[in-house]
Amino acid sequence: MASLRPFATRLGPRLFRRGLATTVEPIAGFSEATSKSSAPIPESKTTTVKEPSPDADSKIKTFHIYRWNPDEPTAKPRMQSYTLDLNKTGPMMLDALIRIKNEIDPTLTFRRSCREGICGSCAMNIDGVNTLACLCRIPTETSKESRIYPLPHTYVVKDLVPDLTQFYKQYKSIKPYLQRDTPPPDGRENRQSKADRRKLDGLYECILCACCSTSCPSYWWNSEEYLGPAVLLQSYRWIADSRDEKTAQRQDALNNSMSLYRCHTILNCSRTCPKGLNPALAIAEIKKSMAFT
Amino acid sequence: MASALRPTMLRQAFAAAAPAQRCFSTAMPAFRAAQLARQQPIKSAFVRNALPGATRVAAFHASPARAILPPLPQVIKGTVNDAAQVPDPTPMHGSYHWSFERIMSAGLIPLTVAPFATGSLNPTLDSLLIAGILIHSHIGFESVIIDYVPEHRMPRLRKLLMWALKAATVVVGIGFYEFETNDVGLTEAIKRVWKA
Repeated sequence: MASLRPFATRLGPRLFRRGLATTVEPIAGFSEATSKSSAPIPESKTTTVKEPSPDADSKIKTFHIYRWNPDEPTAKPRMQSYTLDLNKTGPMMLDALIRIKNEIDPTLTFRRSCREGICGSCAMNIDGVNTLACLCRIPTETSKESRIYPLPHTYVVKDLVPDLTQFYKQYKSIKPYLQRDTPPPDGRENRQSKADRRKLDGLYECILCACCSTSCPSYWWNSEEYLGPAVLLQSYRWIADSRDEKTAQRQDALNNSMSLYRCHTILNCSRTCPKGLNPALAIAEIKKSMAFT
Repeated sequence: MASALRPTMLRQAFAAAAPAQRCFSTAMPAFRAAQLARQQPIKSAFVRNALPGATRVAAFHASPARAILPPLPQVIKGTVNDAAQVPDPTPMHGSYHWSFERIMSAGLIPLTVAPFATGSLNPTLDSLLIAGILIHSHIGFESVIIDYVPEHRMPRLRKLLMWALKAATVVVGIGFYEFETNDVGLTEAIKRVWKA
């Protein structure tokens, strides 16, 4: 076609081009466009393609999601709204987020991995409560709009992704591993009675999702020094372990005004824990075990 | 803002714009091109409802920022793989302090009831109660200062507030002493005021 056009121009003055077009140009669309004298009928009046109408029984719910992009550091964080039909979405908040990311906005950023409450990646603040998106059901009443924020009072990496560096550094500081100097009595493994093992129930299940720590006002104000409920729960998990021989050192590490005693039994941690654990009880047990020592 | 604008480039909107783009590349009369360009690209109801336009992106901060104690930029001490520093054990500010505070709190309950329960409004019980209240409130306010005035960030204000609290406790103590010696005393005053 590119080769034909200079040919058409060469044939004669501009006036004759219209008459010549049908013979020179073999392309139908081109000839129709140039030969027809009336205005073409717009596509909207001729098309047989209908706009898809929404389902009569669709349940449209609005999700407001916190957005912040580190590539635009001067831009303020904002809330972005998405609507989904709940009939076409899975039951959990994580399903909704994944669907938004897949189908509406691929720039939405969040952490997720196991989608069944084992990994703790998808911890976020949903409708004002820190929880795991994969364990949080979408409220079915469509009149209420859901709001999703990253974990409160954390440095945000992007959108719903919080920076948990300080949290992990604090976890490392409590030495979360078995510390023993003496070899096991039978030379094979460190045994434990059933009663001693039962003391660890409700402690070892913690997945370190940081929901409790980031719900604690004391941790909000003093996260540099106060360890926070999740890390203290883990500390107690090793203090309570009958096989561990460094209990006194573990307690000494907490024996200052900031690490442990910034807990004022606000109990947000126990209320919010998506795994149903009780970090406040563990902290109280540590305080009790350290009283008068 | 890029992500907010992106939806306009998505699926149906993009698909509708594509044929028009193709028309421009061929030799086409100008009037037809203008007519096509004037037409709205066909968007499905889903795209219109679900995709946020400029009006649907709400500002996150509705009020101007008030910088009382604005967050500092993130500082990571050492590398990200280093453990957080463990402070030296100081039981005087740790477990002893906590045990003492609990004893004071628990002790205040019987002390408030004792004068009325025994019926003897004597100055010894009064002075015990006042000492308890003084220490209890001093520890409480101290805790508030430690919580809300971080030492690593505002060391001078912290020191100032701590001394102000000590001075206030002393002043209140002197006030109570005056009230006990020159007036009716604490429990007697409560008894006179309390009408229940």
